[in-house]
Amino acid sequence: MNKSSFFSGGLVLLALLFLYAPIAVLIAMSFNASKYNRLPFEFSTRWYQDLFQNEALLAATWNSILIALATGIICVLLATLLVLGAQALSRKMQRALQSATLMTLTVPWLILGLSLLLMIRALDFSKNLFFLLAGHVVIALPYSVLALQARVQSLDPALEEASGSLGAGPLTTFRRVTLPTLAPAMVAGGFLSFMISFDNFVISYFLAPFGFTTLPIEIQSAIKFGFTPEINAVSTIIIGISLGCLAVAGLLLELGVSQPGKKNNRSQFLLDVSAPKQYNKT
Amino acid sequence: MGAKRRLLALPGVSVILIFAVAPLFIMLYYSFQGDSQGAGLTLENYTRFFEKQFYLSLTWSTIKNSIFVTLVSLAVSYPLAYIMAKKLKGVRNIVLVLIIIPFFTNQLVRVYSWLIFLQDGGILENVLSALGIINGALGLLYTRAAVVIGLVHAFFPYMVITIYLALEKLDNALLEASASLGASKFETFRKITLPLSAPGVAAGLLLVFVPCLGTFVEPRILGGVNGMVIGTVIEDQFFRIYGWNFGAAVAFILLAMVIVSVSAFSRLGRGGSLE
Repeated sequence: MNKSSFFSGGLVLLALLFLYAPIAVLIAMSFNASKYNRLPFEFSTRWYQDLFQNEALLAATWNSILIALATGIICVLLATLLVLGAQALSRKMQRALQSATLMTLTVPWLILGLSLLLMIRALDFSKNLFFLLAGHVVIALPYSVLALQARVQSLDPALEEASGSLGAGPLTTFRRVTLPTLAPAMVAGGFLSFMISFDNFVISYFLAPFGFTTLPIEIQSAIKFGFTPEINAVSTIIIGISLGCLAVAGLLLELGVSQPGKKNNRSQFLLDVSAPKQYNKT
Repeated sequence: MGAKRRLLALPGVSVILIFAVAPLFIMLYYSFQGDSQGAGLTLENYTRFFEKQFYLSLTWSTIKNSIFVTLVSLAVSYPLAYIMAKKLKGVRNIVLVLIIIPFFTNQLVRVYSWLIFLQDGGILENVLSALGIINGALGLLYTRAAVVIGLVHAFFPYMVITIYLALEKLDNALLEASASLGASKFETFRKITLPLSAPGVAAGLLLVFVPCLGTFVEPRILGGVNGMVIGTVIEDQFFRIYGWNFGAAVAFILLAMVIVSVSAFSRLGRGGSLE
């Protein structure tokens, strides 16, 4: 090993250390008996036991999952229709649509959340689940759209026309031709929107109705009102769930629609999934 | 195809118009409302912001902070992305996956993990004391430095990915040609690698700088009283002081800053090409 590659390797390791050290400490502390995250380390599963008796935290977790599921499903449906419809639009309209989608990515969530809050006030409503869900859909939708957009371009219009001229109705064509092509991107897009919603604190913080909490809101109030080690435990579980979802989504893609000639689907999936986050490149 | 198919876009477009665009206009309306009811439109919220030294210096320190976080991220990301694209072979995909995974961890969980990592009597203090680097309390939590650390951690992976994707596309033959024509390594880097990676760098700068301008979670939790930024001022106006109209005006000033930065960075990205 020469000096330059030793240096390169060291730099990569340092960056990964910076990225993972605090997360590793968090996970370790969730198994530590100390109430104040102090050393020496003494193994205990006490905080996990406490966690499963903490009704408020469990209810918040359930709320987060439900909201994220609803957001994911709504976003995939809207985004699929949106990209299919956009194909029939003029260039100019397509570009306008693209800017509108990117706008919701660029405007800080703080501003989107507050403006929705003001809209609720202007309409003289009180905060409710409908607007909470609407807020989540607005911030998660662009991720589904960008995931689908890349895929829809690989859709060959000739195939749809051929299917039509062979006597298939529009629904049959959609089911047999369009859907199979879009399916991987729909999984990726739905997964992204689910995660954006599940992790979101800002929108929920502004729009959650009184008495309704989500997991990030519970974590925030635990931070605000003193440390509780149960938060270490719940955070560790969230990290586990996130990684599990990521693995499942990647695996589904590989099993369901393995394309001949396209190797290494799993890391491609990761790039697909992170690609929408580089929004201004598109 | 045609007219009927176009209608498919309608639900998605309506959602964006009703729940993202319309609320911004409502917010704009509020920002021109005075404190007294029914007094008509007024500029007083904006003049209040621009007349008070406090808000101006806060704006400046938010911008400075975001620039600093962005530069630190660039210093970390460019070498890392370069190594990943040009040096690592076998483990490249593993490193890529490890860089991407934190995208899918909760923002608050990450901030909270820094909180317990940096706190006095925490792990970092233990490690540094054991190594004899510090003596006594670490005193890092609730400072500007803690906020910078948290923000760099939150956003630099985006920059690594955008720069990596730009560098990966760069044709090695170009570099070899440059070397064989007698250019030094530095010259090759300056004249070929750097300009061709400019779009990735611009995208990365944008992806770090813009979220930094609008954040309030990291500054609030890691910075404590030292973590005041525009975002926390807006949050306070809405949740503690109930100055909704003034808060709406500050939010619009923040939005203007975001729009200016986005257009500046995308111009920078387009400028990237070989001379």
